[in-house]
Amino acid sequence: MLPLEGSAGPDPTSLGLKEEELRELYRLMALTRRADLEATALQRQGELAVYPPLIGQEAAQIGSAFALEESDWIFPSYRELGSAVVRGVDLVEYLAFYRATWHGGTYDANAHRFGYVSVPVASQILHAVGYAMGAKLDGISLVSLVYFGDGATSEGDFHEGCNFAAVFEAPVVFFCQNNQWAISVPVAAQTVAPIWRKAQAYGFPGVQVDGNDVLAVYQATREAAARARDEGTPTLIEAVTYRIGPHSTADDATRYRTADEVEAWRGLDPLDRYRRWLAGTGVADDSYFEAVEGETRDFAARLRAGVIASEPRPVEEMFEWVFADIPPHLARQREEALRLASEDRKDGGRG
Amino acid sequence: MAVRDFLLPDLGEGLEDAEIVAWRVAAGDPVELNQVLVEVNTAKALVEIPAPWAGVVERLHAAEGDVVEVGKPLVSIRVSEEAEEQARPKRRAVLVGYGVEEEESPAPPPSRPGSRKEEGGPVAASPPVRRLAKELGVDLAKVTGTGPGGRVTREDVTAAGSSPTGDERVPVRGVRRLTAEKMARSAREIPHVTTFLTVDASQLDAFRRDLEARLGSKVTALPVIVRAFVEILKEHRSLNASFDAAASEIVLRRDVHVGIATETERGLLVPIVRHADRLGIGALAAEISRLVEAARAGRSAPDELTGGTVTVTNVGSFGAESGTPIINHPESSILAVGVIEPRALVVDGRVEARQAVTLSLSFDHRVLDGAEAGRALRALGALLEDPSGLAALPS
Amino acid sequence: MAKALNEALRHSLAEDPRALVLGEDIGKLGGVFRVTEGLQDEFGSARVFDTPLAEAAIAGVSLGLALAGWHPVAEMQFDGFSYPALDQIISHIAKYRYRSRGRQTVPLVIRIPFAGGIGAAEHHSESPEAYYAHTAGLKVVIPASPIDAYGLLRHSIADPDPVIFLEPKSRYWSKEEGSLEAGADGSLPIGKARVVREGSDCTIVTYGAMVARSLAAASRASADGVEVEVLDLRSLVPLDLESLVGSVSRTGRAVVVHEAPLTAGFGAEVVARIVEDCFDYLEAPVLRVTGYDTPYPPATIESHYVPSVQRILAAVDRVTNY
Repeated sequence: MLPLEGSAGPDPTSLGLKEEELRELYRLMALTRRADLEATALQRQGELAVYPPLIGQEAAQIGSAFALEESDWIFPSYRELGSAVVRGVDLVEYLAFYRATWHGGTYDANAHRFGYVSVPVASQILHAVGYAMGAKLDGISLVSLVYFGDGATSEGDFHEGCNFAAVFEAPVVFFCQNNQWAISVPVAAQTVAPIWRKAQAYGFPGVQVDGNDVLAVYQATREAAARARDEGTPTLIEAVTYRIGPHSTADDATRYRTADEVEAWRGLDPLDRYRRWLAGTGVADDSYFEAVEGETRDFAARLRAGVIASEPRPVEEMFEWVFADIPPHLARQREEALRLASEDRKDGGRG
Repeated sequence: MAVRDFLLPDLGEGLEDAEIVAWRVAAGDPVELNQVLVEVNTAKALVEIPAPWAGVVERLHAAEGDVVEVGKPLVSIRVSEEAEEQARPKRRAVLVGYGVEEEESPAPPPSRPGSRKEEGGPVAASPPVRRLAKELGVDLAKVTGTGPGGRVTREDVTAAGSSPTGDERVPVRGVRRLTAEKMARSAREIPHVTTFLTVDASQLDAFRRDLEARLGSKVTALPVIVRAFVEILKEHRSLNASFDAAASEIVLRRDVHVGIATETERGLLVPIVRHADRLGIGALAAEISRLVEAARAGRSAPDELTGGTVTVTNVGSFGAESGTPIINHPESSILAVGVIEPRALVVDGRVEARQAVTLSLSFDHRVLDGAEAGRALRALGALLEDPSGLAALPS
Repeated sequence: MAKALNEALRHSLAEDPRALVLGEDIGKLGGVFRVTEGLQDEFGSARVFDTPLAEAAIAGVSLGLALAGWHPVAEMQFDGFSYPALDQIISHIAKYRYRSRGRQTVPLVIRIPFAGGIGAAEHHSESPEAYYAHTAGLKVVIPASPIDAYGLLRHSIADPDPVIFLEPKSRYWSKEEGSLEAGADGSLPIGKARVVREGSDCTIVTYGAMVARSLAAASRASADGVEVEVLDLRSLVPLDLESLVGSVSRTGRAVVVHEAPLTAGFGAEVVARIVEDCFDYLEAPVLRVTGYDTPYPPATIESHYVPSVQRILAAVDRVTNY
């Protein structure tokens, strides 16, 4: 929908979004961009163990997450910090995963209806489908949106999930961010059939959308959510975007792709594109952009301070949530671990 | 404004070092938070490292081309005040994939469940002890366990065990066991010969009483005799020696550390008077007294029980006239002092009742011969019978 | 036992409106072992439904259903077909409570007919309990008799944690006298073992199909004046250390029996616990009688693989004559 350059693009009033919502989309993308850069820097400064940058994919995440109702559930993979921002998840708590503080981060998934980071590729797809089936059984009207990448479409869980969702008419939106790369494997080596078209095999619609056009993403997700909610028909959305950064801070992308390719996609930056349209249509002006810029600076500073200040969890917690009640054999182990930890502290040890 | 060191972090899952490719700042340059400081090469990637604080670059800790280890200083930055507020003790970068580096501490033994020995219940004893009990025909249920939680130990079983003839078996442990081993070794390795001399003790007795009055403290005959013996050792150094069989050498000891054989409840202990040649009789008496009391109370310090060069044993304290004492291995002689009591001695051709004491000197025949031993003993006896000689000893 | 399990599912579905039953062929067909017979007719296809043939999905979707507040009881049709679900079970089902710091819990049951001795084809006689026992966050429950199966399944469905419920399929047709309800009232919870036969000379520690076999061995031993105590573990995780230690400390001798292969089988865990906590009461080494370290053999020779009464007695003999 958004032009790359040149033409004016859609009329802002035609989208079913208020002007403040249109501006909000930009603000959310800007906060996400800034937080993502900060998180990358924090890793390079030793404050995070590892971090998978999402730079370049802001429109895909913000546009889709924004299109959902508050009661809908999001099941992320591991790169959806942008969607977490939309859902109001505290990023310090989200990044606790990457700081190796706790495997799920420390936020409450139920409070934001935003699930925990799922590392085994595609595995979260099944959880999203099961959740949607469960909601449907209760007659609750909600949509389960699950994020995954181009690589995930090769995993068995993707196919099993799509099939289950179709058979059970589960209200699921399968949102694939095709960022062109699965670590070092380009999408051309990942699959022959275009991703959006795989949906046909399962009997439900598949659409491809320009993942760097936040309005297009918003529109496509809105339709898919309505289709799921009202008809119980899933949709597969393939958002075409690009992973500007490496797979993670432990990856060297220069080994498998060219700087030219990256630069070309940088020129298609989703934030720049949207900003131009906002300014062009008069929906937002310079003072707005400056205010957002100021807000992102504060946001990043607070994020930095929060991450740096956060400490490892106490050793007791290692045993806390294995089962609802701690069984005798585990209680014994906990006793030993705590005893060693307190002796350690007395020796002024590792801490 | 303080200078903070930025240590090279682990840039990706267990890396150990990085090579400086290009500095983007120099000492003295102002830097903003997250401004790129340097480009480094790791095993995995070419990486830009951003500044963790705003401030002024104080110092670069490596040159382009150098390899820096993770955790070592990369660059020092004089931080601005706001940056200082943010800064706090640096957390050690976790080498993801390597885990946190520490040694394994051995797991403490698991806590044992409490003793289960009830009436008629199972008896606690480890499998090897059970086997021993079976071999000795000991009924575990009849044995009182002295181990933790009432466990029956090996010692308990051997103590309870009886052989078919009805003899009593007494376990030998601790001090007695050590003494037994030492005695056997001494007897095995050292060719023992003992020579005897009975000495008129009247002068000794008078001297002792005199000295006691002068010093105002108790002085028994023993410290006098020990001091006299020590005096003799100056001339007769072979008595204060050791035979080194491996080197085939006699080691004439420089120092004189006299062991005082002491009977205690736990067995025979030999506390040592160090540098007995430097002590006057009074000091010697006090020291012997102190050592013996400590030994009997079981409070000897470990270094009080080792390092002796010669030993004296007061067999007279249990009424013996003389003895054939066993040398305290690896020394070369031991002096046994018998009981001081009236004997029939020949004085000026007539038999008289005189206080007398028999001295028994066992010696290592590899180190001394009979003549030398006899001479030494004679010298000691002469000293003890000579009032001026006694008076010449330091008191 | 199949009927007892069926009743347990029926009663749970009736009393717990959030309980669901899902799996392959469990609806109309009532399950290949008839364990779910009649349930779909009674409770409808919303709560009792067949799934496509996709074990990973069955497990993963069950997790999603649990997150949405349901209590799924999912079936893996056979032990050998449960493996595609291992990633969902190990990477997620076992870890969700832990990962979410207790905010998202997984009250589901995965039922798996397991073990051999039924003359079946390859992949239909696996004993995978050690994989699940080794995964922190899962409970592992194994009934040995019909009435106990009823109680254990009901407890498992009500348990707030994920339970892997392994049903010894060779015992599906075993019968037991008694009343389910009475059995259920008196049924021991998960985490409690049961002395199914008292004895003073040796304890056989076992579970599943091997309980019956151990009882047969104990009966024979009794004729020779050796009284064997048989302890049915009932759950591997959590393990009833108290009963285990109590029994072996009393008898001083233990033999662990399971069908699964020897190396790194659950028996090794039991032996380690016995040595750690009963060392001072042991009269003899602790032995294991297990399947061999081979893939489960063809049915025509499986009787040489599965612990026989003879092999069990030989072990009992060795420890009592040590």
